[in-house]
Amino acid sequence: TGQLSGAQLTSKAGLDGLLIGAYAQLNARGFSQSASSFNWVRGSVSGGDANKGSNSGDFNALTPFQTFGIQPTSGEVNAKWNAMYEGISRCNSTLRSLASAGSDVTAADKARISGEARFLRAHYYFELKRAFNMVPYVDETKDYGTGIEAVPNSADIWSNIEADLTYAQTNLPVSQGAVGRANKWAATAYMAKVLLYQKKYAAAKALFDQVIASGVTSDGKKYALVANFQDNFNAAKDNSSESVFAIQAAANTGNSDNANPDLVLNFPYNTGSNGPAGCCGFFAPSFELANSFRVDANGLPLLDGSYNSAANQLKTDQGIASSAPFTPDAGPVDPRLDWSLGRRGIPYLDWQAHPGLDWIRDQTFAGPYSPIKFVFYKSQDKSLTDGSSWTDGYSAINYNIIRYADVLLMAAECEVEVGSLTTALSYVNQIRTRAKTGAYVKTAAGAPAANYQIGTYTSFASKEAARTAVQFERKLELSGEGHRFYDLVRWGTAATVLNNFIAYESKLLPVGYTGAKFTTGKDEYLPIPQTQIDSQGKSVLTQNPGY
Amino acid sequence: AQDRRLTGKITGADGPVPGANVVLKGTQTGTATDAEGNYTLNIRGANPVLVISAIGFKTQEITVGNRTTANVTLEDDATALSEVVVTGYSTENRRDVTGAVSTVKPAQLKVVPSANVEQQLQGRVAGVTVITNGQPGTSSQVRVRGFGSFNGNQPLYVVDGVPTQNIAFLSPDDIESTTVLKDAASASIYGARAASGVIVLTTKKGQRRAQKLSVSYDGLFGATDPGKSLPILNPQEQADWSWQARKNDLFQAGKTPDASSFAGIAGGQYGSGLTPVLPDYLLVGSRSGLAASAVDLTAEAAKYNINSANGAIYNVIPSNKAGTDWYGAITRVAPMMRHSIGFSGGTESSRFYVSLAMQKQAGIITNNDFSRYTLRTNTEFDITKKLRFGENFQLAYISNKGVLGGVGNQLGNSTNNNSSSSSDENEVLSAFRMPPIIPIYNSFGGYAGTAAPGFNNPRNPVADRQANANNGNFNIFGFGNAYLEYDVIPSLTLRSSIGGTYFSNYFNSYGRVQYENSENNTTYTYSEGSGYGLAWTFTNTAAFKQKFGRHDVFALGGIEALNTGAGRNINGSGQNPFSTDPNYVTIGTTTPGATRQVNSGYGLGNKFYSLFAQARYTYNDKYILTGVIRRDGSSQFAAANRYGVFPAVSAAWRLSSEEFMKNLPWVSDLKVRGGYGIMGNSNGLSATNQYNLYGGGAGQGYDIAGTNGSINSGFNRSQIGNPAAKWESSITSNIGIDGAFFNNKLEVVLDFWQKDTKDLLYQLSLPGVVGVRSAAPFKNVASMSNKGIDLLITNRGTLSGDLTYEVTGIASFLNNKITAIDPSVPYFTGGGTRLSTAAVRNQPGYSMSSFYGYNVIGLFNSKEEVAAAPTQDGAGPGRFRYQDLNGDGKIDADDRTFLGNPIPKFTGSITLTLKYKGFDLNTNLYASLGNKIFNNQRWFTDFYPSFTGAAMGGRVKDSWLPTHTNTTVPIFESASNFSTNTQANSYYVENGSYGRMQYLNLGYTFPAAMLSKVNLSRLRISASATNLFTITKYSGLDPGVGGSADTNFGIDVGNYPVQRGYNVGLSFGF
Repeated sequence: TGQLSGAQLTSKAGLDGLLIGAYAQLNARGFSQSASSFNWVRGSVSGGDANKGSNSGDFNALTPFQTFGIQPTSGEVNAKWNAMYEGISRCNSTLRSLASAGSDVTAADKARISGEARFLRAHYYFELKRAFNMVPYVDETKDYGTGIEAVPNSADIWSNIEADLTYAQTNLPVSQGAVGRANKWAATAYMAKVLLYQKKYAAAKALFDQVIASGVTSDGKKYALVANFQDNFNAAKDNSSESVFAIQAAANTGNSDNANPDLVLNFPYNTGSNGPAGCCGFFAPSFELANSFRVDANGLPLLDGSYNSAANQLKTDQGIASSAPFTPDAGPVDPRLDWSLGRRGIPYLDWQAHPGLDWIRDQTFAGPYSPIKFVFYKSQDKSLTDGSSWTDGYSAINYNIIRYADVLLMAAECEVEVGSLTTALSYVNQIRTRAKTGAYVKTAAGAPAANYQIGTYTSFASKEAARTAVQFERKLELSGEGHRFYDLVRWGTAATVLNNFIAYESKLLPVGYTGAKFTTGKDEYLPIPQTQIDSQGKSVLTQNPGY
Repeated sequence: AQDRRLTGKITGADGPVPGANVVLKGTQTGTATDAEGNYTLNIRGANPVLVISAIGFKTQEITVGNRTTANVTLEDDATALSEVVVTGYSTENRRDVTGAVSTVKPAQLKVVPSANVEQQLQGRVAGVTVITNGQPGTSSQVRVRGFGSFNGNQPLYVVDGVPTQNIAFLSPDDIESTTVLKDAASASIYGARAASGVIVLTTKKGQRRAQKLSVSYDGLFGATDPGKSLPILNPQEQADWSWQARKNDLFQAGKTPDASSFAGIAGGQYGSGLTPVLPDYLLVGSRSGLAASAVDLTAEAAKYNINSANGAIYNVIPSNKAGTDWYGAITRVAPMMRHSIGFSGGTESSRFYVSLAMQKQAGIITNNDFSRYTLRTNTEFDITKKLRFGENFQLAYISNKGVLGGVGNQLGNSTNNNSSSSSDENEVLSAFRMPPIIPIYNSFGGYAGTAAPGFNNPRNPVADRQANANNGNFNIFGFGNAYLEYDVIPSLTLRSSIGGTYFSNYFNSYGRVQYENSENNTTYTYSEGSGYGLAWTFTNTAAFKQKFGRHDVFALGGIEALNTGAGRNINGSGQNPFSTDPNYVTIGTTTPGATRQVNSGYGLGNKFYSLFAQARYTYNDKYILTGVIRRDGSSQFAAANRYGVFPAVSAAWRLSSEEFMKNLPWVSDLKVRGGYGIMGNSNGLSATNQYNLYGGGAGQGYDIAGTNGSINSGFNRSQIGNPAAKWESSITSNIGIDGAFFNNKLEVVLDFWQKDTKDLLYQLSLPGVVGVRSAAPFKNVASMSNKGIDLLITNRGTLSGDLTYEVTGIASFLNNKITAIDPSVPYFTGGGTRLSTAAVRNQPGYSMSSFYGYNVIGLFNSKEEVAAAPTQDGAGPGRFRYQDLNGDGKIDADDRTFLGNPIPKFTGSITLTLKYKGFDLNTNLYASLGNKIFNNQRWFTDFYPSFTGAAMGGRVKDSWLPTHTNTTVPIFESASNFSTNTQANSYYVENGSYGRMQYLNLGYTFPAAMLSKVNLSRLRISASATNLFTITKYSGLDPGVGGSADTNFGIDVGNYPVQRGYNVGLSFGF
């Protein structure tokens, strides 16, 4: 009947199969787009990088993520919960089976397999921690029928996450046979990130210092920024020196769930054969994000927030038909702008110049921009995308859960708080230098497609100025990669930043942002899913404040 | 005159008739015959006349004259209370039945020209609910006495003694009898698979006597009319309402429209002025919203390209200002025909029946066709005087093309064959979502569609249906059994039967490359696959039947082994062959490499081993006692819980045979029945429930090596086992009356029943922390109660002269309630599409599949009203106002409530037959009352943001405006939130009650005298209309809405409607 008993999976190959199953859940296949470790919905849409996109009614269960109207009964909230615990159950399943491992499993195998399983478990719990805050912690000693349902969400789980990552750091090899496996350095970087989230800056800095000094990828490449920013979003350039830990995507494997099923909606709409996938117009970058790429005469961002002013905001084709003439903004912008979002008149990868309205499903709801970071190239259509399903949007582009640019910026945060502003400056400038020296978007004639300007910081005037610059650099460098909302919450700036964002964006997209408001003390975390509370009981699961 | 004594014996064709009423005409004097048919009566008067009546016989009057002995032979009279009914492993006389049993005359069923016999049972049997749809060859939701379980509620079919779950292969003309066993007392002899009722069918046999061959032909020709589309906005209205939506948006924002307000609506198709203008062209290359003057068709013809292999698509789509009738475009007047020829005959020692039949039926949806060819041979031979050999065998070939929705597993071991088409987003729905301004075809003969911007994502349903033209599904069924019977002594018969179903299936499908839609499938995919299965049953029984004076004894014992169906299947697919000519395409001609996929499956079936016994004792035809016991073992359970023992007892008392009833000659027969029993059930349980299993493969794989194009297989726990699962059991009790009055002119069968199921097996959803990708174990966690009343009343008689009538009323009252679910999971949900919450909740205290959501108490009429109302997310004028059920001043999840359920509280019908000489007129009125429908289609057709730009329904014209507040239809605007279209609420719930004239049939049978001259024994012609009219408040196409599972049905997304048909029939015999 195509199924196995547990005893058939205690060989080395069997245990590895269970472990592969635990990796497979990183993209939350079969749950919901919003449940994935990518976090484009919670991290980027709730964070203001992008709005939900498409039109008002389509998949409108996601709209509350931009308006902060999320209900405990939301199926999306439940999907995130279920997907992450599914990952955890697979890690636990691997660890349980390891106890009865067959004779072909060496001690080194056991250390590696348990290290990877605990690394992944830490990842899934980290996802739950920052999404829900208080969640029940279940490990391999608890299973169905042995009290798993009775574990309450009353204890903080940071220490459990740290314990797993410490174990992984100790037991994982530096070099792994397969590049997709977590190695010692991935665990170290992750540990540092977890410490940073707890504001344990000194401890985090120590680890970041090691990662920056000595970290290598699973296949032995020294961690480094790649030459071109955009190569981080190109399937042909996966697993570069910048990839600390990634979700490995693969196309044409017999199942499109291996090819970014969480991202299939995030392509321009109705492109016909002139554009990628043609569906479905979700994840439209926000006006506010686009404006953020405006730079001053020195090629530096407008850290005072004036990028949204009438004078500085980007000129857009909102409300202008594709057949009507339009000239793109001529002012100075960061070159990462056009590798971070698609806009009218600028070449859209190797497809064609973005035609504006014709590729937008409902401009009055989604705005004028299209996502671009995780869009495949025309030259890769059907080779690095999966043609077996209803859309070509299933691609082989890896998503880096941690990439080295992220490491540098997190390290910079630590330096600002407990280290040296100079080191922080150098980290930020490494990022900016790469953006400056990498290839720009070019017109067919070979000229830069817009007025690209970027410079490095010469110094940080103060700790506060440094903090602002580092945080803004994170916004620019990592936009649309699922980080922003969580960053704002841990910085404690979510209410201010997001309510300002809403005030600006809602003027341009009134339908999508009607009633939107971030409420401090409530909206930092998702509600515990009502379904789970009903299932396990109110005495076991306590609802988060405000819901 | 002096009284004198008269004696005599009443006999019928099969011997003495006990219990016959013998009454002196014009007096209250009467008696009844004893067990040997003898009677004694004191008579008086000058010219005494006896009236003799008995169930199953025509009433006779005889003049006594001077006789002291009067022996009378009665003629058979087939009435409802007199037939032989096929129950259990035996047949019995209706007189002796103590359980709840209904029969249906095949002639009544055949009038309905549907392809599947189960569909014809709708409204025919008290206690049987049939929810069906209009797709030929579809499966129906047939439920006997409610819903005993959360799944696996399909009745067990027993065809000529062989159990099966699927009777799609039967030809209606082959059926001789249909019996429905409804309670434990009658059904439990079939044991564990009978808990949902048993429908026993027998097919025609020959007669065991020397005779010449008799040949019969039955033919039916007809057509079904698809009816009309639901109202949708025409092109101008759609444009106007798009403008109105923008005005409404501005109204909500407290603004007023100005010249710049209308930019960007519908992709600019209607311009951006203060009033919309319909364009002449919707798409020309990449231009849209064009006037005819802007398009030079000759020049465009040169650029036109719809084949992406030749470069970028360049479509040229004009507008259809008159409006395209999309429903009309995907439907047709659908012809059907049915022919069957039967040959029957026999000798003193043998009999046979052979038939050939075919039915071809087109669906009202284009490229949806059903055809079935069957061969049946039923024979029986005496090998010796005591030993008989017989077989019933049927071969059926069924081809189903262009099927909408799933129709369940056809192997025969599936216990959920519900059709899913009603809850699918299929082409029926597309027809109401596709904007009528889009023509079917573009300017150059290719398809038009939503590639023209501004109309969102409906796909051209005509193109989708056309793509189905070559998609086929071909099934071959071999079904039947062979048996030996040996009469050890005349009263003891041993029988051994082996039977089963062999099934094979083949399908292929072509997935075309689309270019006309906004969301296109850009890869050509060809797939095909095949499967086979074998289900078998081996039964050995011994039956004893003997009369000892006034004591009548019947006993049956048996042993049975079966497998519900083991089989394998394989399917593969490939992409982008060199040519898409269907004659060229095979998997072998598709592009080689990783995109060629193959999969296969293997199912073991469930194995049962059972022992059973039944005994019936009848005293003097007055008191009847029946006991049944069956012990079932199923491989679905772990060893410790494998066997279940299920007993049932029932008794009947024939009041009319009692002396004190003899004085009531208007009572022809009166019997009170009572039964009680327990039935086991494991239908819903998976074969492997006891095991913890792991699975996975490609679906749970991961590209651990970072190759971009390959994966390692991954495994996960696919199932958590529960070795502690045990049998579900349902306790049924039944009290009934069988009565015949006024010389059998009035017959009444009335049953009060209750069925309580406990230890219900259900896969309660796992708490998330366990990991929900493991299938939850089935556990015995719930209980359910069904109660009801079944009533059948027949009245027959003569209106005047040769004009006779028979009217039968059938009524079933049903009350289904979930009584308990494991407290750890207090309810479970399901159903509904495109809403943020589930439409259905199953919870103790409520019926299965109850709709659940917010109760809309009106629309907000002003901002002031919103401000004064309880806090409600997204509230605004013209939007839904929900009821604050708990009165806490805010609307949240706690304010949701139960909004009705799809289970009809009453189903019934009235069948009327009028006969005048050779003419007969039949009609049937069916009613289903008290059921609700969740009209999920409203999400698509009533709300502007539900895929903005797609077609909208006619209700929009009645939507809320500041100037039009007396309405239930919410404001037409862009907002999509909690107070508009995201929540399941009572706006979607409609009254699903309906009454329908199922058929009106007029026939003429030629007189035998005339026919004998042309050597015909029978000739009948008929004409009928089916589904002549439907009375309902339901706003969708058809109030008969099923669903893919009993735990969430009655949700209408794309229901395939039952529509009006006409047919003519011819049958003759010689």
